[in-house]
Amino acid sequence: MRYSVERGWGWGRCAPSPLLLLTLLLFAAPFGLLGEETRQVSLEVIPNSLGAPQNLLHIRAVGTNSTLHYVWSSLGPPAVVLVATDTPHSTLSVNWSHLLSPEPDGGLMVLPKDSIQFSSALVFTRLLEFDSTNVSDTAAEPPGRPYPPYSLADFSWNNITDSLDPATLSATFQGHPVNDPTRTFANGSLAFRVQAFSRSSRPAQSPRLLHTADTCQLEVALVGASPRGNRSLFGLEVVATLGQGPDCPSMQEQHSIDDEYAPAVFQLDQLLWGSLPSGFAQWRPVAYSQKQGDRASALPCHASPLHPALACPLPQSPIVRAFFGSQNNFCAFNLTFGASTGPGYWDQHYLSWSMLLGVGFPPVDSLSPLVLGIMAVALGAPGLMLLGGGLVLLLHHKKYSEYQSIN
Amino acid sequence: MEEEDEEARALLAGGPDEADSGAPAAPGALPALCDPSRLAHRLLVLLLMCFLGFGSYFCYDNPAALQTQIKRDMQVNTTKFMLLYAWYSWPNVVLCFFGGFLIDRVFGIRWGAIIFSCFVCIGQVIFALGGIFNAFWLMEFGRFVFGIGGESLAVAQNTYAVSWFKGKELNLVFGLQLSMARIGSTVNMNLMGWLYSKIEALLGSAGHTTLGVTLMIGGITCVLSLICALALAYLDQRAERILHKEQGKTGEVIKLTDVKDFSLPLWLIFIICVCYYVAVFPFIGLGKVFFTEKFGFSSQAASAINSVVYVISAPMSPVFGLLVDKTGRNIIWVLCAVAATLVSHMMLAFTMWNPWIAMCLLGISYSLLACALWPMVAFVVPEHQLGTAYGFMQSIQNLGLAVISIIAGMILDSRGYLFLEVFFIACVSLSLLSVVLLYLVNRAQGGNLNYSARQREETKFSHTESMQADGDMEVSWMMRTQKCRIILGDICFTLLKIYSNIKIHNGQGLI
Repeated sequence: MRYSVERGWGWGRCAPSPLLLLTLLLFAAPFGLLGEETRQVSLEVIPNSLGAPQNLLHIRAVGTNSTLHYVWSSLGPPAVVLVATDTPHSTLSVNWSHLLSPEPDGGLMVLPKDSIQFSSALVFTRLLEFDSTNVSDTAAEPPGRPYPPYSLADFSWNNITDSLDPATLSATFQGHPVNDPTRTFANGSLAFRVQAFSRSSRPAQSPRLLHTADTCQLEVALVGASPRGNRSLFGLEVVATLGQGPDCPSMQEQHSIDDEYAPAVFQLDQLLWGSLPSGFAQWRPVAYSQKQGDRASALPCHASPLHPALACPLPQSPIVRAFFGSQNNFCAFNLTFGASTGPGYWDQHYLSWSMLLGVGFPPVDSLSPLVLGIMAVALGAPGLMLLGGGLVLLLHHKKYSEYQSIN
Repeated sequence: MEEEDEEARALLAGGPDEADSGAPAAPGALPALCDPSRLAHRLLVLLLMCFLGFGSYFCYDNPAALQTQIKRDMQVNTTKFMLLYAWYSWPNVVLCFFGGFLIDRVFGIRWGAIIFSCFVCIGQVIFALGGIFNAFWLMEFGRFVFGIGGESLAVAQNTYAVSWFKGKELNLVFGLQLSMARIGSTVNMNLMGWLYSKIEALLGSAGHTTLGVTLMIGGITCVLSLICALALAYLDQRAERILHKEQGKTGEVIKLTDVKDFSLPLWLIFIICVCYYVAVFPFIGLGKVFFTEKFGFSSQAASAINSVVYVISAPMSPVFGLLVDKTGRNIIWVLCAVAATLVSHMMLAFTMWNPWIAMCLLGISYSLLACALWPMVAFVVPEHQLGTAYGFMQSIQNLGLAVISIIAGMILDSRGYLFLEVFFIACVSLSLLSVVLLYLVNRAQGGNLNYSARQREETKFSHTESMQADGDMEVSWMMRTQKCRIILGDICFTLLKIYSNIKIHNGQGLI
């Protein structure tokens, strides 16, 4: 079975049909998953009561009648558990002894349990690397001969308490392999920067994803690591929990006419855990090979279709197992960044990619007021002039009768 | 003397019948192909004339065909890439005033054509060397040198045409020269990308060397043009010796002080022209990557779409020329053309409809505009100022293209394709505003720009003395207008002028 990629065409809006919208509005009150304008966001690093500090970050975004919990952790591979509740008073309870044991089931809970409207998780299991020399078809899978991947469960991470910034509501997980015989990460690291938001806005940093209060942003940055070839393409393997029902979440490509915020990128990719409104992950299929992220450094990002992760054993994430129990039904997909020609990681040994994770309706880009203003003037002015001039001529004509010359 | 006069007249009048009935013994010793008064020889000269401009048009749009490769191999962004077009236009801001002067007074047509061909050739070689040595400044310099030669070569080409062909044949000659120009552009769009990939396979890797080699191979067409220029010079000199005919002249008279006498309708025509063409040529320059990235076309398909504007303009220009000639009402046609271009850009910007539709519409409106707009200059400007008017129009047009090319590149890098299209829509809208204003001003002043064909005939017959141009002025006028439009796109104005002139001069007692 192919877990297919749907293509949505249109005017840049992932607009639900009117009927769906009406139905959802009717159900708005009990669900509480429809956009809150602002939320009170608090970031908390949960200390390990049992010993050495482990990175467990709890982001709590409280709205008027709903709460979003994002639990980010680098216990095992970096992972995030997303929980949406319909009360502003829900809390996270952590049992460290369970969590750090070989059977972490029940170590992580959101209480009260019956207030949970939606929950899902994403795990970033492996950092992939491909050798892209002599590959002409950049859309092929895999995009070259694969090198042995780095398992992110075997990375050692910094203490995120140091990188916590309450002003920007962000924290950074920075890690490198524990065992690095070839010293590829001697001067480099893989960083996951998590940022939460209390209201809608659009950052100035590419790819300028529009975020709302119902989303948080993840930026994955690979800096300074030595590639194992001249033309190495990197990738990320991402594992997601199942959507509604026994199927994998669906991946959608939204094509739009609007590339104002990410020049030459006309597409938005989305991972949906069910029919809207539900949890989603959203990203632009572009990565950047320079910090300032302009068009010259844009790399294409390909997402493979989702496939059930049954066959090969994946690095297990304790917090996912702690929250969801020991189910084995996950879906995995690969993201690969770059092509064999053009800008790439080899330029400055820098790669960054961003995504949004949230609940409700994914944010949609719309035409900026400047564009709309210019269009209004461009179309209106000639029309008005024609009308006005025509009226003046008509009145002028009525004043004077036609002079008939004799010859 | 009489024999020579007859032979000269035979050459000027054109057509195999007159040549056969006129010329007696002396040139009859030469075979038809070598006899300057026979059709076969003139066809050979026509062939050479057509290929004279082929190299210049082929190489002009090399950057557009190789946009992705240039940006990748030379590591430049779109702004710097568009400088390649800007540098082509900068010398022509000044040079279009002097092209005719240089050919008439300084070099003569033969040496003029050879010198300008050399500039074209050398410019393209420097451009290619910039790629081989990985020096973008050298590429810009190469385009500058190329620009010096390119547009002036078109003047030389037209001067040759008028010198060797007159009367009814001139339509066909200009038409063929135009077709060769457009064929050159189209072949470039569709060939260079393929050539690059072949060179890449040969050399083993992409890079600035591959780019340089590809451009150098493209420059072979310029060498071809140079050879044609040399051959034409020899044949022209030989014809002069055999037929005692004069070297061709452009007959242009440029007086910059005439600018203060330009009327409001003329300034509006200038604005229409500049604002329209800056929304077409830079768009074609940047179009290939637009079609690849927004609509997901392959490189070959994107090149094909990009060349559609040129492909359409070749056959449609004579058709529209006849249409405008038959119906008159130039302003209305200009209005239709500009509005259609506006619709085309809006389709490309705000919808995902197949871009073939929008590009075909753009090609049609572009051809129509040229047929309707350029003749209007002749209607509002007296004959003796026509050279200056067209020179000025071309000058500001090149200035506009140079500046807007750079701006388009900057917009694209910072804001993306949607904003770029909105910018072009704003330019076309400004042009549309000017057309509307021109219509109103023309109506208010009782001007003749929007006369139907019949009204124009009636006005002509009552003002024949002002329309009886002497040989030089007619040549100059046809030269000027033709030069402008060959560079930009078509023949229709010549048809209009010649057709109307023929009707007057073949009088039938109307004068």
